[in-house]
Amino acid sequence: MNFRYTFKTSFTSLIANKSRSALTILGIVIGITAIMVIVSVGNGAESLILGEISGMGAQSIVIRPGKQPKGPSDMAGTLYSDSLKPRDVAALKKKSNVPYLVNVAPAVIVPGSVSYGGETYIPMIFGWTANMMSEMLNLYPAEGINFGENAIRDKASVAVIGSKVKKELFGGSSALGKKIKIKNKKFRVIGVYPPRGQVAFFNVDEVVIVPYTTAMTYLLGISHYNEIIVRAKNPEVVARTVNDIEATIRETHGITDPADDDFFVVTQKGMVNQIKNIMGVLTAFLSAVVAISLVVGGIGVMNIMLVSVTERTREIGLRKAIGATDGDILRQFLVESVILTALGGIIGIALGTVFSLLTSFILTHYLDLNWSFSFPFLAVVLGIAVSAFVGLIFGIYPARQAAKKNPIEALRYE
Amino acid sequence: MALIEVKNLEKIYGDGDVTTPALRDISFNIESGEFIAVMGPSGSGKSTLLHILGFLDRQTSGVYRFGGKTIDDYSKDEIAHVRNKKMGFVFQAFNLLPRATVLENVKLPLVYSGIKQAEWDAMATDVIKSVGLLKRIKHEPSQLSGGERQKVAIARALVNNPNVIFLDEPTGNLDSKSGRTVMEIIQELSEEEKRTIILITHEESTAEYAKRTIHLFDGRVVSDEKVKYQRAARDFVK
Repeated sequence: MNFRYTFKTSFTSLIANKSRSALTILGIVIGITAIMVIVSVGNGAESLILGEISGMGAQSIVIRPGKQPKGPSDMAGTLYSDSLKPRDVAALKKKSNVPYLVNVAPAVIVPGSVSYGGETYIPMIFGWTANMMSEMLNLYPAEGINFGENAIRDKASVAVIGSKVKKELFGGSSALGKKIKIKNKKFRVIGVYPPRGQVAFFNVDEVVIVPYTTAMTYLLGISHYNEIIVRAKNPEVVARTVNDIEATIRETHGITDPADDDFFVVTQKGMVNQIKNIMGVLTAFLSAVVAISLVVGGIGVMNIMLVSVTERTREIGLRKAIGATDGDILRQFLVESVILTALGGIIGIALGTVFSLLTSFILTHYLDLNWSFSFPFLAVVLGIAVSAFVGLIFGIYPARQAAKKNPIEALRYE
Repeated sequence: MALIEVKNLEKIYGDGDVTTPALRDISFNIESGEFIAVMGPSGSGKSTLLHILGFLDRQTSGVYRFGGKTIDDYSKDEIAHVRNKKMGFVFQAFNLLPRATVLENVKLPLVYSGIKQAEWDAMATDVIKSVGLLKRIKHEPSQLSGGERQKVAIARALVNNPNVIFLDEPTGNLDSKSGRTVMEIIQELSEEEKRTIILITHEESTAEYAKRTIHLFDGRVVSDEKVKYQRAARDFVK
């Protein structure tokens, strides 16, 4: 029995029972749709997050106080730990300790709002060095200038602000030279950044950068840092530099066992790996859920194929009487169930693509995310293969039942 | 050597204590080209006999040789092939595929024959023409009369050009006029094409179209004789 004929016969019999065939494959359709959406949205989320991470630059190394967070509850420990102090920065600056370091800048986070005249706005206020910001993100003031080393040494009350902060407080008029208020202390605006949007997990347009020394002394009253940001000479020496940094700070803190570290180091590569791990686990988990739905769908297919075999007992008897072998009958029903589920897979892929496009449209237009839709070719191939495989596996039992039928009894069947 | 040799054939249904003998000590030979009617009331074992002769069932004891070979000389797939190539079957209930056209129904045995698909249409069209249904070739069974459906079934039995055609009550579901046109075709196959025909019927009048009748009663052969005055479904029969 040739394949083309088998295919045509099976297809005809499925078309003859359109609504039943459609209901039968619903489970498969939903399963494959889910796979498509999960993979597509997963890829989109991953590239979005990875895009943010790449914003910090491959040469940047961030040192944070406290222990490496293992979960959300550890984050607080990071924020309130005071282990990173000026002596660490001094040690890092020594060429003999960290030879490939080109720049180092401590940072503190200042909670609060900023006001000018009657306007108040809640931006992200960082005590940092403006030069580091410009160097890391390749972002230089559109108007005015960055504050320099002198401002940091003198704890000057100056600020460089993001484009949105400027717009909220000053509207159309110039901000340069104006005094804005943070926690009742006045800061003179000396620079305004051009619009850039979301980069490296914060919105550049919503920042206010003041000298970290000023922020620590006058705004926070603390003597430790929330972060120390280091720039390595080039991406190739990042791993080596991380080692040097860890050794240096351990020495400063008198730590011998790395398990006792009261700081941790984050690099772009490390974060990328971490995100990829998380996404991998998430995808695996969701895939397991989808696999269950495919099994349920497959049982549905098996059920209907059994009904179909019983209904067509006479046809089977006739085919056997006129020369069909058991193998011919087996193939016919197996091809039928595989076509059924593969069709479900194809419909699922089409629906999945539509839903993924819809998701990316909504995320882009309503949530203003820099979301990119990617058509997951792998998921398409996988989807069709898996659905056809489900048909094969769950088609075997009904097809065997059909092949086993005794032609005499089958012909007599009413 | 006879085409069909049956010797001391027995068929017993059931096992253990409850057994029902369906065929008992049946022996006869059929030569190639014969037209035989197997007669008997219902329950006489004629369908059982047909199933054994058609390699659809297996006897309990005794010998059945088709072309010199028994069912045990073949594997399961080879038996299917013998049924496909050397035997044609026509059933009382027609057993056509309901949603397939006349052409598709007649082609069905070719599907399992190993013949190239390119030749199927021509072969099927030929036999459909020979039973006079060419103008119905695209119709589905539901659009045909009973007589026409049985002619489709006969065409299907002929398409692989088999030695033997088994007919199980072919006129049983037909009115007398349609029955006669069907018998006309069957007689033609015997007279003009010299095919071996084994016809099962419980009607004396249908059996009279054959040249020889074997009467079964309670699973035994009670008579095996030449038909003295063969009925002609059409005038040409001598």
